[in-house]
Amino acid sequence: MATATITAEMDVFRFDPTSESKPRYQRYSLELPPHAPVLTALLKIREETDPTLTLRYSCRSAICGSCAMLINARSRLACQTPVGPEMERHGRIVIEPMGNQPVLRDLVVETEPFWRQYHRVEPYLKPDPLRPMPVGKETPMTPTEVKRFQETPRCIACGACYSACPAVTADPEFPGPMALAKLYRYVVDPRDGAHQDRLLRIQTSGLWLCLRCHLCTEACPKDVRPSERIRDLKELAIAAQGVTEPGSRHAVAFKDNIAEKGVLNEFKLARQSLGPSQLLGQLSQGVKIRRRKPELMKKPKPIDGHAEVVKLYELLDSDEEGTP
Amino acid sequence: MKRHDVVVVGAGLAGQRAALAAAEKGRDVAIVSKLHPLRSHSGAAQGGINAALGKEDSAETHIYDTVKGSDYLGDQDAIEFFCQEAGPTVVEMEHFGTIFSRADDGSLARRPFGGAGFPRTIYAADRTGLALLQALWEHLETQSFTLYEEWDLTNLIVRDGRVQGIVAFDRRRGDFEELAAKSVVIATGPFGRVYARTTNAHSCTGDGVAAAYAVGAYLKDMEFVQFHPTALLESGILITEGARGEGGILKNGQEERFMTRYAPHVQELASRDVVSRAIATEVMEGRGFPGKYVHLELMHLGRELIESRLQEICDFCRSFAGIDPVNEPIPVMPAQHYMMGGVGTNLRGETNIPGLFAAGEAACVSIHGANRLGGNSLLETLVFGKQAGLAAAEFAEYAPAAVLHESDLEAETSTIRAMSNRTEGEDPQRLRSELQALMEGLVGIFRKPAELTQALSQVRALKERFSAVRVVDASKVYNINLTDALETGHLLTLAEVIVVSALARTESRGAHYRVDFPQRDDKNWMRHTLAQRTPSGPTLSYSSVAFTRWEPKERVY
Amino acid sequence: MRIAYYPGCVAQESGRELDVSTRWVCEKVGIELVEFPSFSCCGSGFIDEANQRLNLALNARNLAIAEKAGLDLLTICSTCQGMLSLANHRWQEAETRAQLEPALRQIGVAYRGSVKVKHLLQVLTEDIGLAQLKTLVKRPLSGLKVGAFYGCHLLRPQAELGFDDPEDPHTFEDLLTALGATPVMYRGRVMCCGFPILFVKESTANRIAANQIDDARAHGADAMATPCPLCHISLDSYQNRAETEVGHSLKTPIFHLPQLVGLALGATPDQLGLPRHLVPTDGALAKIAAKAST
Repeated sequence: MATATITAEMDVFRFDPTSESKPRYQRYSLELPPHAPVLTALLKIREETDPTLTLRYSCRSAICGSCAMLINARSRLACQTPVGPEMERHGRIVIEPMGNQPVLRDLVVETEPFWRQYHRVEPYLKPDPLRPMPVGKETPMTPTEVKRFQETPRCIACGACYSACPAVTADPEFPGPMALAKLYRYVVDPRDGAHQDRLLRIQTSGLWLCLRCHLCTEACPKDVRPSERIRDLKELAIAAQGVTEPGSRHAVAFKDNIAEKGVLNEFKLARQSLGPSQLLGQLSQGVKIRRRKPELMKKPKPIDGHAEVVKLYELLDSDEEGTP
Repeated sequence: MKRHDVVVVGAGLAGQRAALAAAEKGRDVAIVSKLHPLRSHSGAAQGGINAALGKEDSAETHIYDTVKGSDYLGDQDAIEFFCQEAGPTVVEMEHFGTIFSRADDGSLARRPFGGAGFPRTIYAADRTGLALLQALWEHLETQSFTLYEEWDLTNLIVRDGRVQGIVAFDRRRGDFEELAAKSVVIATGPFGRVYARTTNAHSCTGDGVAAAYAVGAYLKDMEFVQFHPTALLESGILITEGARGEGGILKNGQEERFMTRYAPHVQELASRDVVSRAIATEVMEGRGFPGKYVHLELMHLGRELIESRLQEICDFCRSFAGIDPVNEPIPVMPAQHYMMGGVGTNLRGETNIPGLFAAGEAACVSIHGANRLGGNSLLETLVFGKQAGLAAAEFAEYAPAAVLHESDLEAETSTIRAMSNRTEGEDPQRLRSELQALMEGLVGIFRKPAELTQALSQVRALKERFSAVRVVDASKVYNINLTDALETGHLLTLAEVIVVSALARTESRGAHYRVDFPQRDDKNWMRHTLAQRTPSGPTLSYSSVAFTRWEPKERVY
Repeated sequence: MRIAYYPGCVAQESGRELDVSTRWVCEKVGIELVEFPSFSCCGSGFIDEANQRLNLALNARNLAIAEKAGLDLLTICSTCQGMLSLANHRWQEAETRAQLEPALRQIGVAYRGSVKVKHLLQVLTEDIGLAQLKTLVKRPLSGLKVGAFYGCHLLRPQAELGFDDPEDPHTFEDLLTALGATPVMYRGRVMCCGFPILFVKESTANRIAANQIDDARAHGADAMATPCPLCHISLDSYQNRAETEVGHSLKTPIFHLPQLVGLALGATPDQLGLPRHLVPTDGALAKIAAKAST
């Protein structure tokens, strides 16, 4: 088997808060086959050059979730990221600890906030006392129920999604993608009796702070696609409980707004979506914007074929049509 | 000093199940783990968990298959108990929330596994270990217990003939700590990292087994090391038996499906030791590919099956070996995979030390005897994790308060501090690599007396050098140079026991194959090896195998 | 080239300067914009949150309109690009079609899945080409350091968009270079502007917007440019609120993508609607002029 090697130039974040005042990047150069993972490179450095380089790792096979870190600014598992393509893209490999979490040392971060958000969503089965599981045998599951478990069981809680998310540190109320994907897993579990309660509580505990930017989905090494699970949660929440607070109100208001003319009535949206105190808060800003952009107050004309749009709403948006 | 009723060391499936059992009994439980529990090696188990749940199957056949698979060294009373507990255990895990793969009728799906007379391996795609681990951890959340996360066990404290607690190293704060405990459960998993090629995670260094041995616990059947036939050539990453269960076939360098010669009836689904020896023989006799390996072929199974039922394998091959199994054969070689040996227990998880219990791969009951069947390890963690937890809880209920002294901590930490204070000495990673290479070369699938003798003297030489091991990292926070040294020490201890046990057993049985004694010798060797520490090395004694209904027969597949 | 023009709601209303500058640029580079008064709103991601199937059906109808005319579709908003690409991607699944075709049939619409949805950034770099674009540059934007801000839905999820690397793209920076500007690299360029939660929890949206602007600034940007009018609202129209939220000034002009292209191709600020911005762009314009005159 061919073992042609490349030179991997690694710039590794080093920081020991007990003895250093600020972080630095240390350069290591190694010869490796291009498909060798970054983890192999880091362990080689530890073994041959610098045993003080500190990181978390265990299984090296992308199942334990220990080695998530920033590799050329992307949140990735080191054991699953080959050096060759990284060198091709950037000519060097910058290795840094995961984002959004305080650094304990070098590539090791404090994971307590991440686990705390996970525990916050109460990730355990709450059986329904009125529908107990069968004694002595498994709870049967229909193919539809099984299908909902396609993605979320793959999660290894590596934290790459949390590391990539722009919302988690902007707002501690936001549970982060992993916790929300985990909540989805319980909301679609037929053995769990607390679906309604979970949906109700998550709506006021940060569900609607998800920006749907999909950075988590791109970072996830296991194809859980957390942003899409969150989207499913949002739809389930509205279907189950209607409009309960700003996030769901805005989504439903927007949907209703479009039904009227087929295109957005911006000013009306503000009135439909915002509660009275929010609207008051937006008043001065609205005035500011309108001064430059008078179309803000414009009432749009209905689109050609508006009746078609109305018909689609009738067919697909009555009762709880929106359940995935 | 912190104090608990029951301290469980190790937070994989066995440790968590023990903790659950003890917590349900109302004990004050602590879990000590060098990793976050969800990072435990249990999560790497792929293929499935055995239980005779189907209408056409029965615990009887599961028992027989396990007895036969053990090459008749397994204790039949324990095996009977184990297999009878299997169904309720799997159902319990399903009720805890495990997401298993399902058949079309909504029942638990099953696949065939090596050495089993019937498809009874229940699975969750090819990440069954992960599915169980997550479900159990999430269920455990409903109990109260204390988690000491990223604490490495260094020592057990035994005084007045019983366990009094543990000493552990807190990685984040860089301090040694004592925990007083009335009972301790060792569930630290395997120690495959004594070998260079292993499917084990890097963290699998047998810390609890070494600590138990150090205070006089028997280590049982340590010579029985299971080599998994199909691990990726470069990395040793496991390619699950399920690949063969779904129809994958093995070919040598001459494109021959060689398993037909070694196991005419079941071919690739013969038990692991048979297949590993077959592959090793093919390569040794020059019929491997250049570079010394064979091929595992999945191409004929088709893209859809591969990408749905064997998704993880698909990902592994693509990510770690640059191979697409839909289109190409996978280069594989056997690698160390499971340790049948471990801390000797009965089927309640009790060791020979009062207050000390063990379960999971760290323990040896023995149900696997000389060779373990696929799907029985995940089951073992849960069945005996529960038993050990119950027994530990019961012990703690009646035991007086544990007594620890300051000197317990001092005695332990001064040796270790010396490692950091040296200005020159041995590099722990270097010592570890040398150990791994020698074990790989001399104590592998085919064992020769001269090589075993050589291995023993080399291990002892390394132990000598280890007394001068030096930790260069002076930092207090997250010092993995220090934990490397601790782990290397454990590996050296356990390697010595493996070699001594292997040297003594002059027969071939199950996974232990002696080139000079290629036959099974029931007359002299139908017995378990027990190794106990002395200052000059392990001393061996033997215990009998429990028979209930099955007479030993020749093992043919 | 001829292409169906899908301006999106905001560009036709309060974000009019985007529409105006798009038309100016397209005329200059030879893109004929074919208009359809029957296009409906893409849903902006909000309809998707409330009812995924309705969202897909509405956008399938939009795509069918272009398909009937035998045209591909041009978007000028990252979010429209995202939503229309989502529908296009899902339309490849038999299950999705089976669910939604009956409803579309009832309004006399059938979508076969043949339309390509391209953002202006893509059309300029792929169809027109940077080499061609360079030949049309009359006023190179030298002296101006610009932080490109892509807008999430232009890039992700990759499975649906597939246009550039979802976390580490380069197309926008390549375009800026071709226009003579100096692109500034900073991590926030692929992150979110906060717009989706502007009416949900404005303080957090403000903070997120400020994070990205601060990041661009810290790496030397004089200005930012975005291919999404919703990002523009968050970064420009609400920049003052972001300043209040984080307690320091941001003072960073935000250009629409076609405005920068237009400037380089010789348009005046008025022709591009620049005076409509809430954050004045004069300072940035002065930098270009300064360089040009040296």
